[in-house]
Amino acid sequence: MLELKNLSVHYGPKRVVSEVDLTLAPGQTLGLAGESGSGKSTVAMSVLRLLPKAARVQGEILLDGDDVRTMSWGRLRAVRWASASIVFQGAMHSLNPVRRVGDQIAEPMRLHGTRGGVTELLEQVELPREKARAYPHELSGGQRQRVMIAMALACGPRLVIADEPTTALDVVVQAQVLAVLKRLVAEQDLGLLMISHDLSVLAETCDDLAVMHRGEVVERGRTREVIANPRHPHTAALTAAFPVIGDPAHRWAEPAAAPEPLLRVRDLVVDYGRTRAVDGVDLTIGRGEIVALVGQSGSGKTTLARTIMGLRKPSSGRVIFDGAEVARTGKALKAFRRQVQLVLQDPSSALNPRHTVFDAVAEGLRVHGLADDQEALVTAAVERAELRPASLYLEALPHELSGGQQQRVVIAGALVLQPRLLVADEPVASLDASVRGEIVALLLRLRRELGLASLIITHDLGLAWQIADRVAVMHQGKIVEQGSVEQVLLTPAHDYTRALLRAVPQV
Amino acid sequence: MRLAGRFGGAALSLLMVAVLGFFLFRVVPGDPVVSMTRGRPTTAAMQAELRAQFGLDRPLHEQFWSYFTSLLHGDLGTSFTFRRPVSEVIGERLGPTLLLVGTATLIAVLLGLWLGVRAAWRRDSVFDRVTTGVSLTLWAVPTFWLGMLLMMVTGDLFPSRGMRDTDTAPDFVSQALDVGHHLVLPSVTLVAVVCAEYALVMRSSLLEEMHAPYLTTARAKGLRDDLVRRRHAVPNAVLPAITLVFLRFGLVVAGAITTETVFSWPGLGLLFYDALTGPDYFLLQGLLVVTAGAVVVMNLLADLLHGVLDPRVKVV
Repeated sequence: MLELKNLSVHYGPKRVVSEVDLTLAPGQTLGLAGESGSGKSTVAMSVLRLLPKAARVQGEILLDGDDVRTMSWGRLRAVRWASASIVFQGAMHSLNPVRRVGDQIAEPMRLHGTRGGVTELLEQVELPREKARAYPHELSGGQRQRVMIAMALACGPRLVIADEPTTALDVVVQAQVLAVLKRLVAEQDLGLLMISHDLSVLAETCDDLAVMHRGEVVERGRTREVIANPRHPHTAALTAAFPVIGDPAHRWAEPAAAPEPLLRVRDLVVDYGRTRAVDGVDLTIGRGEIVALVGQSGSGKTTLARTIMGLRKPSSGRVIFDGAEVARTGKALKAFRRQVQLVLQDPSSALNPRHTVFDAVAEGLRVHGLADDQEALVTAAVERAELRPASLYLEALPHELSGGQQQRVVIAGALVLQPRLLVADEPVASLDASVRGEIVALLLRLRRELGLASLIITHDLGLAWQIADRVAVMHQGKIVEQGSVEQVLLTPAHDYTRALLRAVPQV
Repeated sequence: MRLAGRFGGAALSLLMVAVLGFFLFRVVPGDPVVSMTRGRPTTAAMQAELRAQFGLDRPLHEQFWSYFTSLLHGDLGTSFTFRRPVSEVIGERLGPTLLLVGTATLIAVLLGLWLGVRAAWRRDSVFDRVTTGVSLTLWAVPTFWLGMLLMMVTGDLFPSRGMRDTDTAPDFVSQALDVGHHLVLPSVTLVAVVCAEYALVMRSSLLEEMHAPYLTTARAKGLRDDLVRRRHAVPNAVLPAITLVFLRFGLVVAGAITTETVFSWPGLGLLFYDALTGPDYFLLQGLLVVTAGAVVVMNLLADLLHGVLDPRVKVV
């Protein structure tokens, strides 16, 4: 059905895809794995000739025997969506924000003269028919992704390409969306080409797997076999990067003695208007302890973190740091903030694109009026974050650095103030698999060497298993379960924890 | 609730306009009665009588109160120069201005948005470069200079003064044709300036949408290029331009001053000019309230329309 022969794509002199050969038979499910920049999305876009004009495509792209590269525009438009459609990463901006989703689903049907109704398509993806009248912003991330799937199936294509269809969704929603996609592919006997950086997602959905690295397919085969016995070192690195909960080899945190408390949260309540975002939370973080706060989006974990950092006033309850109640205003609050530093999820948007690494790291020093000896402090922090030698990086701008290096700059910016607690909101979620492990190791090393405590906010239970001493599970504003990692993740007591664990894709 | 907020905000702005309109002309230097009677022999008694007639001899707060209550009844006082109620004078000039500004805005919107869309869609093409270059030039040149240039270039082709000739037949068709003939030069001048701004704003707004992922989705569905543009790109990109059009329309009512003066078009702009040369305080005060009020009302309309066009903005 789909045959790529010797496919290469160049942007100017830069080769982003080189000599890729892939075939996909009807009813076959093929996963295409790789990190950002590996060329996997370029391959997907080339199938419907959607690459920008600057791209030079060589080789053959045969869709039902016809070469997409040489089709007339009219023929190409007829083939698009009717023969092969794409499930884009709909959680973000792949739907038109000012048009109702029902119209957007119906649009290709009218265009290609397909019979059928939007209602049935919505039913297939388990959405109520009223949602056809909704605008994209009125839907949740998972619902938008279902709309994308319904839209992709609108013209009854035989091939569906799914490009990172569950990235940016939390585990529970991801599991639901994958289940819908799997069911429809099986029911309608579709060919599926699924692209993801996450091997566990591909393992859940695809029978066959191809791994891309720097524009080349480095390994392919049955998914089970490739993951169980990776032959290429890059595949091995990818499989190793996703921790298996319960596997001692993936448990990187050293067992620590029960520490004395550094931060105590007592009966904390935070209201947004009439909505109770945080509902009576008790939480303790010891000196040098790493606590993972896990839960779905909307569970209140980010609000809790913001309140702990003094960025939001609690409605009631207490936050006690180092034996004293945290001040809510003035100099005392500023002094407290110096001790608690934040690391955000996406380093590319957390860093000002016009600030050099030196400026970014030194900013905290300037804010806190610690102007003496800036250079030595910044250099030390940058080296602590393992950007060595610092002199190579200080004058660099964010876009000149890789994702992992950017995240190290963010961490250096936190370290320069010599904090005692790091609050990290999804610190590895937007990083590639191979970099992820390095950042996790860095956080653990900082704890070992500096006694730095961390509160890691995440929906990734694997990360919690890898790094944390204790886990607190948050659901609808309440902490429903907390305890040591082994206790919570291996013998969960609460139904919600069990539901979260069930949703984790299994490699 | 949000709707009430918008209306409340607009009402507050109108109130500020009314207050400002009063005090602004009380703090400018110069005695209105002296300037009113300039060039004519007047005695102190006559001046006092005039002061009493216009209420200028009363304490400020009393003056303000009577101004404010009259304003609520639509009474803007009496013009010194015309010796008639300000509201009447403004009322008869409103028609010509709305005709000129309305025609110019309509043409400028259609032309400007079309130019902007085409230029952005074919970025860096000859069409884009020419449109952008010409727009920037027109935006930068002074309006009066452009008006006079047009007058010189077109020679006797179009009338360049007033709104109608005295010797035109009284039937409707001849009158309408005559007014239309007179309308050409001033509206072309106004279009040139306003249209350039619309084109530039539309262009940059569409350029920002050009790489939006939903356009890739639309292309993947098999839509023709012009359908991708019409159905998906433009409805998103036009939103900031619509807001600008409405804000501009409010401003243009007052901003046609130069155009109307150059072509002696008997509208509010020319009236403004005449009132300033007086200076005719009550007339200026009335014009300020009316034109500033127009901006406030247009702003409100823009807000409401934005809420209708963009489902993400919850107004109603």
